Amino acid sequence: MLDRLARWGKAAEDTVLVLLLGAMILLATSQIIMRNMFGSGLIWADEALRLMVLWLALAGAVAAARADKHISIDVLSRFLPELGNRIARTMTHIFTAAVCGLVAYHAWRFVASSREFEDTLLGGQPAWWFQIVMPVAFALMSWRYVCLSVSELIRLFSKSSRKASES
Amino acid sequence: MIVFGLVLLLLALFGAPLFAIIASSALWSYHREEIDLSALVIEFFSIAEMPVLLAIPLFTFAGYVLSESQAPGRLVRLSQALLGWMPGGLAIVALAACAFFTAFTGASGVTIIALGAILYPALSQAGYEPKFNLGLVTSAGSLGLLFAPSLPLILYGIVAQVPIDDLFLAGILPGMLMLVMLAGWSLWVNRGTAQPLAAFSSKKVFAALRESIWELPLPIVVLGGIYSGYFAVSEAAAVTALYAVIVEVFILREISLKQLPDIMRESMLLVGGILVILGVSLASTNIMIDTEAPQQLLAWISGYVSSPTTFLLLLLLFLLALGAILDIFSALVLVVPLILPVALQYGIDPIHLGMIFLATMQLGYLTPPVGLNLFIASYRFERPITEVYAATLPFLLILLLSVIVITFWPSLSLVFL
Repeated sequence: MLDRLARWGKAAEDTVLVLLLGAMILLATSQIIMRNMFGSGLIWADEALRLMVLWLALAGAVAAARADKHISIDVLSRFLPELGNRIARTMTHIFTAAVCGLVAYHAWRFVASSREFEDTLLGGQPAWWFQIVMPVAFALMSWRYVCLSVSELIRLFSKSSRKASES
Repeated sequence: MIVFGLVLLLLALFGAPLFAIIASSALWSYHREEIDLSALVIEFFSIAEMPVLLAIPLFTFAGYVLSESQAPGRLVRLSQALLGWMPGGLAIVALAACAFFTAFTGASGVTIIALGAILYPALSQAGYEPKFNLGLVTSAGSLGLLFAPSLPLILYGIVAQVPIDDLFLAGILPGMLMLVMLAGWSLWVNRGTAQPLAAFSSKKVFAALRESIWELPLPIVVLGGIYSGYFAVSEAAAVTALYAVIVEVFILREISLKQLPDIMRESMLLVGGILVILGVSLASTNIMIDTEAPQQLLAWISGYVSSPTTFLLLLLLFLLALGAILDIFSALVLVVPLILPVALQYGIDPIHLGMIFLATMQLGYLTPPVGLNLFIASYRFERPITEVYAATLPFLLILLLSVIVITFWPSLSLVFL
């Protein structure tokens, strides 16, 4: 069940990444062609491209959270024993899940207030349509790190219980 | 406050993602200043208000496409044909090819993986000492950081708010200096042993040129397009990305359409990682400026340091220490907003500061204990990490020398501006 969810999640991420990046390349290059050849361009294109960067950044961040590939310093793990590493990883995952959750909550509040004040983007579209990506992405990242810490905990306990039963 | 800082530091050292560390410290500061915490999200959203940022995903993707194709091999063969006639030429081939490749792939370790795999065995076959090879390939993996259109150059332009096309011009001579000094040293070390690969043959050069006919126009398209005014930096990135896909997927057919989503995903992992750090650090920068941290830093430093030269020396030492622990992208977004106002007060040009910053951070890739290139090389070539440390040390010292020259000779960076 969870496996299937994870597979769908990855497929959804991939689709979003591919569509956004593809659209971005085509839109940006067609802008250049239109400007240099016809002296015109789509008025909304520049703003749309900037919003796509935000979406792409967050989709990439969610994908990076799945792979646990976010940029980190990671000095001590190379010198710690395996068990210490497990515990450290569990703690940093829980911490990251909590921070992402907090950011997601405040992003949600931000979107709610933007909706309330009827902010607009792209010449009259409701701004929250585009801003909603922030709470969603941070919530997904929080979920990813919850999953990572749970699986780390399970491994930690199954190992220590096995050791206990052996002795 | 201090306890909170220590806990964060510990979490960071244990490998918590840096974006979470920066976000939590920003949230904590907002809380202390009694600012609504959703201010962080408002700052984060300004990622969608920076037009140049478009260049980052597009150049990164283009770089990944090139490194997945056979382009690295063609690049090495072309450099061999052009430079192989010199004694010690292969070492120079390695340096030049790596620098060129890194400029396009943005020094994320891709160079060592894509080019090192070709160069490392080739160098051993040509009779270079194993220790020299290891050091050369490891340190060449981040060479070329100062050449357009490298990712760190673009990011510096965004954070410091200086024109990116000026940065591209400024990087040429400092980048060449690093390249020439490493090449000179390689020639010196191998003066007795290294044989020329082959006599210069115009036939071989022609064949190599023909083989690379599709990739060769790339730098010309990118730089020519920008400086002739046909397109902006972010648009150059779009052209590069589209061009790379058309050439490698449809013309040369070295990458199948099926592979493309995986390459997109891989490259966007890196982009997401960098941009999320940028987003949350916009918030922490915002607090830093609110609490006048740069002014306080300036007041404190100016109590001890009056001459620009002394300041540059201190800056250099600080950046060397910083580069040893932080990766180039996080260091850029976190530290540049803090030191730029201070450096301006000492009369240092922001473009020159960028060159100092990036050149020093390049050393960070090679400084123990956490230099990224050291680990990639150790992993890729299956050598113990301590052996890589030792092999890289002479190259590190040469690069340090070049960084000192770049720091204290501003006109090297500013001559074209």
